[in-house]
Amino acid sequence: MIRLYHVVKSYGDRDALRDVSFHVEKGEMVYLTGPSGAGKSTLLKLLYGAERPTSGKVLIGGTDISQLPAGNLPMIRRNVGVVFQDFKLLPMRTVAANVALALEVIGASEEQLRRRVPAVLNIVGLRGREDTVAGVLSGGEQQRVAIARAIVNDPAILLADEPTGNLDGSMAVEVLEILQAINLRGTTVLVATHDIGLMDRFPHRKLRLESGRAVSERPRR
Amino acid sequence: MMQLFRRTLRGILEHLYLTVVGAGVIAAALLLIGTFVLVVRNLDGLVSTWNHDAHISAYFRPQTPAEVQVAAQQAIAGRREVASVEHVTAEEATVWMKEQMPQMAPVMDDLGKEALPASLEIVLKPEYLTTEQVEAFAKSLSDAGSFSEVDYGRDWVGRLDTFLSVLRIFGGVLGGLTAVGTLFLVANTVHLAVYARRDELAIMRLVGATDGYIVGPFAMEGALQGLLGSSVAIAMLWALHQSLEGRLATMLPAALGTQELAFLPAPSLLLLILVGTLGGTAVNTVAVVRFLRSLP
Repeated sequence: MIRLYHVVKSYGDRDALRDVSFHVEKGEMVYLTGPSGAGKSTLLKLLYGAERPTSGKVLIGGTDISQLPAGNLPMIRRNVGVVFQDFKLLPMRTVAANVALALEVIGASEEQLRRRVPAVLNIVGLRGREDTVAGVLSGGEQQRVAIARAIVNDPAILLADEPTGNLDGSMAVEVLEILQAINLRGTTVLVATHDIGLMDRFPHRKLRLESGRAVSERPRR
Repeated sequence: MMQLFRRTLRGILEHLYLTVVGAGVIAAALLLIGTFVLVVRNLDGLVSTWNHDAHISAYFRPQTPAEVQVAAQQAIAGRREVASVEHVTAEEATVWMKEQMPQMAPVMDDLGKEALPASLEIVLKPEYLTTEQVEAFAKSLSDAGSFSEVDYGRDWVGRLDTFLSVLRIFGGVLGGLTAVGTLFLVANTVHLAVYARRDELAIMRLVGATDGYIVGPFAMEGALQGLLGSSVAIAMLWALHQSLEGRLATMLPAALGTQELAFLPAPSLLLLILVGTLGGTAVNTVAVVRFLRSLP
């Protein structure tokens, strides 16, 4: 599902990623871990097309997105949901409006909105909060809205960049449980985190980045 | 289309203040341009009216025999530039003066029947009414020798005409600079409005919106802002016109004569609306496209 071949990403004379190659199979859940500045966020940006590699190939479902014309990136992004540490919600809009945004951009009908939005809010445990303004929710709830928005159009891949970074322990566990549930429904999930406790509690394969280089690890069971 | 309109309306309602400010800046810019065009148009009309009303008064020397006056009238009437010539005798001039200024009647009576000179009141054909042509005609009368004075009252009209020509050139330059300035102001206002919505734009990009999908409502919003702005500008111009029309007619009745303060004609108003609407669309579109280019 995700394949990187000898990917290098440089900013001027500084290499953020050095010769990174790895595969993530369809339906797999993988942690992308490593210290701050190791290149986790850069790698995720390459996967949703926010950055292009200096060299190497980035394949998403067989398509090399490093060579893709900018006009085709929206099609890739509709198949790759992204969750951020800072949620990136529209705080003045309701929970339902935030989630519906991802459906509206692909031209979904009113009927599809009415059907899909409550369904994903049910998955993330926010059913009944459709009309609440997103800005008044707790951090954990806002992150769940962000996850709902990322999966509402049923993407093949879900990327999460430090999704628990702004949450306390119990909320972080809730978010990981949701991500794991989404993975169990068949979505490929890649989570960038350095929370060892959570990775131990929800064991999956780890891809460790150190100074821009990748080292794959098996989960401790 | 309905979805585009709905999204545009949502954007306007969510950012009502910014939308109103944008429309206000467009209105101010168009009001400035409209006022300038209105002033030049009315001054032009006024000068043209004065030109067409202009006539030449040629005053005979004292003691000029009546037959000489009649011969001069016939000679002048035969010239191709002349539309009409009226002979005003000294008595008629005195009567006219007494009618116009009754308080002067005793003085006129003391001065006698020939206090004022006889004259010829000459009206030229419209095609001979340029300042140069009138000057040349008046000079030919002066050179003829029968007249003590030839008054054509055109020197100040000529100066106003020159002033208007300078105003048009100066106004063109000033208008150009104003247009650049207002365009800069409008562009910056819109840029700020787009910047205020940067999170929304970034999120839409993130969830797979195409540039066309993002730009559409902004372009439509710009068109509506331009339409609103130009309508407000026209309404304010109309109010300005209405308020000035009455006051000027009271203050300057002699100068205005029968000339009414003109408003902009329908094609100019349509052009103003078109400029506002297309300008608003273009400025908004450029601002969003530029911002999208800065996004990953």
